[in-house]
Order: sequence, then structure tokens, then C-alpha cells
Amino acid sequence: MEKLKYEKPIISKITAGVPNKFGLPAKQKIISEIDGIPVPKLMEEFGSPLFVLSEKTIKDTYAEAKQAFETRYPKVQFAWSYKTNYLDAICSVFHDEGSWAEVVSGFEFEKALSNGVNGSNIIFNGPDKSEEDLTMAINHNACIHIDHFDELYLLIETTRKLNKKARVAIRVNLDAGIYPIWDRFGFNYENGEAWNAINRIMLAENLEMIGLHTHIGTYIMVASAYAIAATKLSNLYMAIHKKFDHWLKYIDLGGGFASKNTLKGAYMPGSETCPTFDEYAEAISNAIISSEIPHENLPVLFLETGRALIDDAGYLLTTVLANKRSTQGRRTMVIDAGVNLLFTSFWYNLGVFPSKEVSSHVEESTIYGPLCMNIDVIRDAINFPHAKVGDQLVIERVGAYNMTQWMQFITFRPNVILIDLEGKTHIIRKKENLDSLQSFELNPKR
Amino acid sequence: MKITEEIKISDNGFVFNSKTGDSFNLNPLGLELIKQIANDKDFDIIRSEMLEKYDIDDLTFEKDFYEFCALLKHHQITLQDDPLNFV
Repeated sequence: MEKLKYEKPIISKITAGVPNKFGLPAKQKIISEIDGIPVPKLMEEFGSPLFVLSEKTIKDTYAEAKQAFETRYPKVQFAWSYKTNYLDAICSVFHDEGSWAEVVSGFEFEKALSNGVNGSNIIFNGPDKSEEDLTMAINHNACIHIDHFDELYLLIETTRKLNKKARVAIRVNLDAGIYPIWDRFGFNYENGEAWNAINRIMLAENLEMIGLHTHIGTYIMVASAYAIAATKLSNLYMAIHKKFDHWLKYIDLGGGFASKNTLKGAYMPGSETCPTFDEYAEAISNAIISSEIPHENLPVLFLETGRALIDDAGYLLTTVLANKRSTQGRRTMVIDAGVNLLFTSFWYNLGVFPSKEVSSHVEESTIYGPLCMNIDVIRDAINFPHAKVGDQLVIERVGAYNMTQWMQFITFRPNVILIDLEGKTHIIRKKENLDSLQSFELNPKR
Repeated sequence: MKITEEIKISDNGFVFNSKTGDSFNLNPLGLELIKQIANDKDFDIIRSEMLEKYDIDDLTFEKDFYEFCALLKHHQITLQDDPLNFV
């Protein structure tokens, strides 16, 4: 006689919670393959955990963003935000699509150059630019976005020493009607600090003022905030023309577009609440086009969006190590990917899904990483089916920041692979090993 | 391990504890096991019957069974009559 299919015995307490108009999904979402390649095959070949990036998703998302802006505004240029994901293979995909590079350190500047980006197509942001960094940027004719007065004077001094001109913009911080106001970077618009900086730059013989930049924040869920920012920069743009008879070349609205991830504490999923590229584009383009700027002098619109372009393209494949019950009877699960790989788990409720149908019964669970640290919590509350030890799971939307803010801690950082447009897999960053880590260490003889 | 007197179990897997007011749902195997436990069946007998009936290995079943029993205890559905008896 054929044996019956076994399902783990379960008892679950019925609790009357706050009514949820969405209820539980009728069917548990499963991610069994990425770009046509089965998850078990990827993990068999490249190990677990494993970061997977989809070139197709990157290009599709980029095309969507580009179309949203280019159909609304005549001159648009994207600059890839290196800090979001600076693996060379990923940067190259964006550069192939026509993106400039947006960097925030000397290291990132050098990385962009090594990726074949022309120095004049590098936007150099950030509060940390040493004299050496500025010299490199001047020599490569980069667009230097000045963050503060000390940097402005250092730049004036450096251009005198080199007897060269620098192409500059200023970063402007402003009240765009959202909280918190990011006033730690750049010069303030409302109190006149930005205008003072512009006046000083226009008087400096070795500085060529070519643009205005702002970056109002991160994961901005209100598209209209960008309209306020664009309007304020347009005002400065016109004020510069009126006083100095000088047309700037560009306005840079920075990044901060939200991805489809769900922030912790959010009632609705990010995929439902975050503005689309069309909404951001509509807000920004309308504000600039309807400003005082004459049509023939419209600036190039630079965008440095990172998160919204890459988050969806990244997956982390992981394996269940253990199932446990807490003293409260709560189901907990340990997986082999920890918060050292998933920095974004601190602010997102990341989507974790089985790679195959594991059980029809879901239970509110906590998912822990493998680190011997209490903070290693990937999801503190998620309705999840009963997965067994060895079951493979997929964490989605992890393409942004995780592969730059990750940390080697307790375990080695894993392989990162890219699936190209033809469905071929490429290791784009090798798994670390003892040798690679110890190569940085020196042990004095005793 | 005994099911407390206040526990009422329906045939469709609904469990009500009249002492605490708590109610629970059982999945089909959970219902089958709780009935066996209510009938005072020994673990070894339960295990051999389950292994014969279901497509499962002995260690996985043992692990799941003890986790299930721990949950029954946690929810005050079972009493531990002999404190030295692990099950």
C-alpha cells in the first residue's frame, strides 16, 4: 500500500488581532527560479548563501526609468550611484546603458576610472574629499559637487597649486516638505548659505560653476517633494543667470527614489505604496519646465537614483539550518544568511520565500541568521510555511546596499553571480576564504 | 502525558480550553496525534503506526512529535503527570 503524504503535526492558537483587510494570501508565493534557472541548480553550483543579480531586471528597470523621464523632459542623464552597488560587473551594466558615474570617495572615483568611465563623466559628491582626491578630480575634469565651505576653500587652494580650472556644482540642502530634512550635506537654500557659496564660486577665477545638486533624502515616498526641490533649484538657476549672465549646464536632483521593498512598521506593502518612476518624473519635469527657465536654456536633468534601479535585480539564496521553538512557543527558524550580508534587513521587512512548496500551513515565525549574535534577526515576524532543514529559500529585493555595506563577520562573504541576458551565469565576486582575508593581516613575530 | 479535563476537541480539529478560554486549530496530523495521546497510547506504538501509514522517517517523526508535545504543554493542553517522565 502506498504511504500517505506526511505533513508535520501542528497546533496553532487562534488569536483575534486587529482586522486586516487583506487577510492572508490564498497561496504562498514561491520563487523557484531566477531568470529561468532553477534555484537548486544555482545553489548546487555556487553554494549557499548566494547573491544572484539579474542583468535582465537591471536593464528592464533602467529602461522603465529612462522612458519615464525622457518622455517628459528633453535632456536627461543618469549617473550610477556607486555606493549602492559598486561591483564592477554591475557598474559596467549601467555604464553600457549610458549612465555616468556618481561617486562619493576617492576609492569610488578610482573604481569608476578603472571601469572605463571618462573622468569628465564622473560626478564627485560627498563630504569627504581630500586634497589628493580633489587633485585627481581636477586632473580628470570631473564634476565636483562641493559640500561645505572648507571644501570650497580647499578646492580654490588646490586649483591655484595646480594652476588648473575645476568644474563645480554645489550641493544644496532644502526644505522639500518632508521629514527629516537632510541638512547635514551641502549648503542651505532657505537661509541664503547656498546663494553665498554660489557668489564665492562665481568670483573664483579657477572655478567654473556648471550645476546645482540636491539630494533630499532616501526612500522618499512622496513624489511632490521632488517638485519642491526642483522648483527651488530652478529659482537658484535663474538667479545665477540674472546676476552673472551665466547659464549653468545642469540641475542634479540626486537619488532617493523608493524601491518596492517594505519599510519596517509600514502598514501597506512597498509595492503598493511607493511612487512609480512616472510619478517622480512627472513631478520633477513639471516643476522645471513650468519654472521661469526659458525652454531654450533648460538645464540637463541629472539623476543619481541607485536603490530603485538595482534593488529588484538582487536575490539572496539561503538554506534553512534549523527550526526551533522559543520559550513563548513561537516558531523560529535559523538560516545561513545573516545581517552581516543583509544590511537592509535593519530597515526593511525583506520578502523571504520558499523555493518550492514546503507546507500549506503557515505560522508566524521569526527568522534568524547564523551569527552567534542576538541582533542577527532577518525577519522578526513573518507568516511562513514550515520549512525543513536543508530547504532552500529566496530573499528578494536585496540588490541595493547589501553588497557594499556588508561585513565580513564570523563567516566568509559568499559568491555573487550575475545572470546575463542569455541566461548564462557568471561569478562577479568570489566567495572569500581564509587566504584572501589573511592576506591583509600582519602577525609580528614574538 | 494527559490531556487536561477542560480541553474539548472537535472532529474537525478545533480545540477549546474552557479553563483559559483559549482556542486552537489542529492540522489533520495534529488532530490524529492528539486523539492518540488522549487514548493514552504509548509513543513507541504511535510512532510505529505513523511510520507504517505515512511517508516519513523515524527521526523526523520523533522530532516533530516532541515539538508537538512541547506545544501542547506550552498551551496548557496537556498535564505532565509524572515530572520525571520526559514525554
